Formats: sequence, C-alpha cells, structure tokens
Amino acid sequence: MNQFNRLDSYKEMVRIRQYESRILQEYHADKQPAWDIGAGLIPGEMHLAAGQEPAAVGVCAHLKKGDAITAPHRPHHFALAHGVDMKAMTAEIYGRDSGLCRGKGGHMHLFDPENHFSCSGIIAQGYPVACGQAFAFKRRSTDNVAVAVAGEGAANQGAFHEALNLAALWSLPVIFVIEDNDWAISVPKSHSTATASNADRAAGYGIPGVRVENNDVEAIFEAAGAAVDRARAGEGPSLIEIHTLRLWGHFEGDAQAYRGAELETVDERDPIPRYAKSLVDLGELTEDQIVTIAAAADAEVDAAIQFAVSSPEPKPQDALLHVFA
Amino acid sequence: MASNALVGIVANPASALDIRRLVADGSAVTTNHKINVLRRVLAGLAGVGVERVLSMTDLGDSSGGIESLSRGPAGARWPKLDFVEHPITQSAVDTTAAVKAMAESEVDAIVVLGGDGTNKVVAAECGDIPLASISTGTNNAFPSSIEPTVVGMATALVATGRVSREDATHRCKAMTVSTGDHCTRGLVDVAIIDDDKPGSGAVWDAANIVELFLCFAETQAIGLSSIGAHVQPVGRNDPFGLHIRIGSPRVVRVRVPLAPGLLSDVDIAEVNQLDAGVAVKSIATSGVVAVDGERSFRIAADDPATVTLSRDGPFAIDVAKTMDIASRSGVLKDLPTINPT
Repeated sequence: MNQFNRLDSYKEMVRIRQYESRILQEYHADKQPAWDIGAGLIPGEMHLAAGQEPAAVGVCAHLKKGDAITAPHRPHHFALAHGVDMKAMTAEIYGRDSGLCRGKGGHMHLFDPENHFSCSGIIAQGYPVACGQAFAFKRRSTDNVAVAVAGEGAANQGAFHEALNLAALWSLPVIFVIEDNDWAISVPKSHSTATASNADRAAGYGIPGVRVENNDVEAIFEAAGAAVDRARAGEGPSLIEIHTLRLWGHFEGDAQAYRGAELETVDERDPIPRYAKSLVDLGELTEDQIVTIAAAADAEVDAAIQFAVSSPEPKPQDALLHVFA
Repeated sequence: MASNALVGIVANPASALDIRRLVADGSAVTTNHKINVLRRVLAGLAGVGVERVLSMTDLGDSSGGIESLSRGPAGARWPKLDFVEHPITQSAVDTTAAVKAMAESEVDAIVVLGGDGTNKVVAAECGDIPLASISTGTNNAFPSSIEPTVVGMATALVATGRVSREDATHRCKAMTVSTGDHCTRGLVDVAIIDDDKPGSGAVWDAANIVELFLCFAETQAIGLSSIGAHVQPVGRNDPFGLHIRIGSPRVVRVRVPLAPGLLSDVDIAEVNQLDAGVAVKSIATSGVVAVDGERSFRIAADDPATVTLSRDGPFAIDVAKTMDIASRSGVLKDLPTINPT
C-alpha cells in the first residue's frame, strides 16, 4: 500500500475545494435570468463536490499511470485528484475549444484519454464501463485497476448490479466506490434503498464490501489501499461505500428545502476545517500554512479560469466534428 | 405467562462493515441479517412471556425494518414494540442516548446486537441492567454466538424473574483507561498502537500494536485478546487480567487469529498480571489508545495511559446456564398453547 502523506492530502483537498468554490462563484456571476441554466459564461447544470474531497483524495492516492476512473455527474474532485489537467478541464466546463472535448461535453462529460478519466450524467453508467476497462487490463496482463464512482442512489440502478455481477464472475480488477452523501438529488436513502448500507449488497455477489464512516480521508485511504492491492494482486473486485457530505445543493440553484434541519449542521461537518484542525493539533500544519496553501490553490484556479475565458469558443462549422452519434 | 417485563434492544446498524472485509476474511453481516436476528430474538422473548420491548432507533435501518415488519403478520406473534426517541446521529452517540432512555424506562434486561465496541458503549450506560449480547460484529470476544432465539428465551426468563438474576448473570470485569482529558471504559482490551500510521477505527495489523491490557483472554476468541490467550489464558471470572508489552526483545512469539482468516505472529516482550484496583501506567508514552478494538484517542504528552482493572462491569446473562436452570426447574414445561385455535 502507498504511504499516506497527511500534508499532501490536505493540500489536494484544499485545491479541490478552492476550485469548486470559484466555479460556484463564476457560475452564478452572470446567470441572468437565474433560472436559465443555459445563460452565462458557464452553460448547463452544475454539480459541485464540496464536502466530498476526502473520497477523491483518499482513493486516488493509490492510483498510478494507466489506472482508470469513471466518475458520475459530480466529477470534478475525482478528475482533479486523478491528475486531469485543470486548465483543459476548466475550458471544457466553459464550453471552449481548448477544453478536453473541444467544448462539446461540458462539466458532466469530461473525457481525458491520457489519464483514463471519464464521467457521465447517466446514473451508474460508469460501472459497466469500468468493468470493460478492467477486462482490458486483465487481458493485457497489466496490474492496472479501474475505479468506478457513483452516488448511493445509483446503487439502485440495474447497471450497478450487472457490473458487480460481471466483475465478480470474471474476477476483474475493479474498485466500486459509492459516495453516500445521504441525498439522491432530494431523496434520502431510507426512502429508496432496501438495505442500510450498499456495502451489504457486495455480499450478494461474493465480493468484499466495506463502509467507511465519518468522511475521514485517512480511513478512506486505508480502505481504498486494501481494495486496490487486492485488485492489483488479481484477487478481484471490491466495493467501498464512503459516507461523505454534500456541502451544497444537488445542482447550483437547488434551494434544498427538502434537507430540513440536517442542512443546519453541514458547516460543522465540513471535512476540510476538521482535518486542518487535526493536523494543527498534531503539529503537522501551521496557521500560516493554512493561508499559504489556500493561496497557492487560488492562484492555480485563477490561471485555469483565465485560460478558459481567453480560449475561443468552438466554431459553428466544427459542430459535427468529433461527434459520432 | 404474561408479565410486565420490559426488555430493551440495541442493534448497531454499522457493525461488521469495516476494513476487515478487505484485509481479512471478515464476513458481511448485512442489515437484513441483523433484522432476521432481531426477529428470532423477538420470537424468543414473546414465547417466554415478554409482552413489551423497547428498541433503539436508527435511520431506517434495522429498527425501521423491524418496525415495518411488526405491523405485518409477524408482529402479531411478537411483544408490543416501542421505539426510544432520541436524536439520530448515525454514530455511537445514538446507542448511548438509547440506553440512557431504556434505563429511565426501567427495562429489566437489554439484548445487544453488535461486537465488542457496541457492548462497550452499552455497558457505559446500563448500570446494573443485565445484558444478553449477540455477536453481529467482526472480532467478538465479549458477545456470544448463540442462536438468537435462545438468547431471547433466556433474556425473557431473567426479565420475568423465572430465573433469578443472581443465578443467571455474572458480573464482568472492566478496565478504565485515561490519559490527558480522555477517560473511557472497555470490556475486553485496551491496546496502544504505533501512531505513525494513519487509518480507520479497526485494529488489524499486528505490526502496529505495542502494548496490550486485557480483562480476559480466552483461547477460543479471535482478535486482540487472543494474543494474551496464547501466552496465558485468563477466564472471565478470574479476578485479574493481563498486561503485555509487544516487540523486542521477545521472550516468545505466538501465532494468533487477529481477525477472521488472518493469523499473525506476535512477539511478546513482557507479560504481567493486571490486578484489580491497581492503576497501571502504559510503558508507551506516545501512540493511539484503542479500546475494545477501536482506535479512540492519542496518549497525551507527558501523561502515559493509566489502566485500572475493576470487577464492576455489566451483569451479563449466561444463556447456557439460564436455560439449564429453566430446564431443571421446569419453568418451560406444560405452558399454555402459543397459538390457541
């Protein structure tokens, strides 16, 4: 298992948070009228991952060149943690020609072949895709692994079960990650899911299933490391359900009236200030470093946004290029 | 058969889901399995005359499942089921709040579904209410693996007074551990873990353990207490425990089952008897203190962990002994028909 580095993990979580915070700001800056999601510099829906940084950082710390990730509609944290270029990703989110998909995909369709990263707005769609990637790794006798990420609501989709079945049957090197942020858009798990933890569901396919509580990057790192080690060693797939936190709305503009009193406590459950405090207590982080780490992240984000807004939009005559369906 | 007996039920929905399913062969104890265990307990309680049960509440998990079933045909055969009202945080705090409420309602006994960690939390609040503990965790030294139906029956025999508490229960040992501002009680083991490695709650890597305090150490057990068991077995009723230093220079190496399917070689450097009522300071001056198999807090600077064994732990129902007494005294003979037609 890789060695865990507390300070690096903190920096990566802050990098993601500063990115999501800035996208939030930019998204709303010129959205006029506010209900028109097509308006403004960032067109389309926006699903931000603030609060879920520990999942991405804890899992991706174990991945190496050639490993694959399929992420869902809320993809930025896994993209950044997996090494997707921030500038090209931001340009894609802004719909610019210099984006990962030449501006035709937007924030839910970030495809980066070099880093084997993809995502999709279709719920649980990444699960079968990860099986295909893992099958290729196995056929080629590499020790690469595929990580499939989805939310807890996605575990009620057929694709989730079909993928677990196939991966178990063929002993594929896949790590199935469920980010349980308590809300499938506006539906709590207790209203949609016949078992308390999706980790239970792994038992039906004869693969290990664990649940990691507390949105704790170190505990996630440990569980993900064990799952990645199993997969690389040819021991087959595992499922990890991570109990995380959706700090903001399902999409930007979501008033979240359905969250009730639970919404009042989200700030005190924010994993980043909590982790900063534990590192300060351990003597591994100073108050000055908290400021400089955030500033360094802001500078990188500024540069990425500058790159995006200064890039040209796709030309109308290129509309049918690189489109196959 | 009718009685006014009231039995509490605590079921930890989070048990048996930790990393030991990945790093060892820890089995999945699914929520639906826990609900099945609850059904058997409820049948056992009802069959021996308990008409009222007070259950803790969790978020739509085992308590939600059993509540829903209680409104169906199965519910007609069970005791009347009420749920303790307490804030739900999906953490051990829920168990603490539920047991406090059960104590206020003066339950006659509590059935606990969980592992050592769950029983530790219950024991901290239950006072002298007898506990019947069923294993639904991963490494369980404290709770037993007896058929839940029979646990329900034995609990009912004690709760209704058909078998006396004095005959049916034994008082467990406990350990108090303190360092800095932290102070907590454990029922089985207190381990000092090398703190360089970050990680989750569970303790499964022998290489991290530097020191161990044990209330008892039974050779058939799995987990940290098995380390002591293979050096010097200590029974639950022995008036002492063990204090073990792990590492070098070793006096002996033991091969022990630290987790399901996971055998580890552990180097024992020093073994001492842990006498009741004597405060013993840890040799380690830094590290993380794990209580009943779960990492709990760090050793404070300049204040090594202090561990004191005591004989004032919870009263545990001895299921086999209780059923044996019931059989010999005939209290389960010639009972009214369960389903009169």
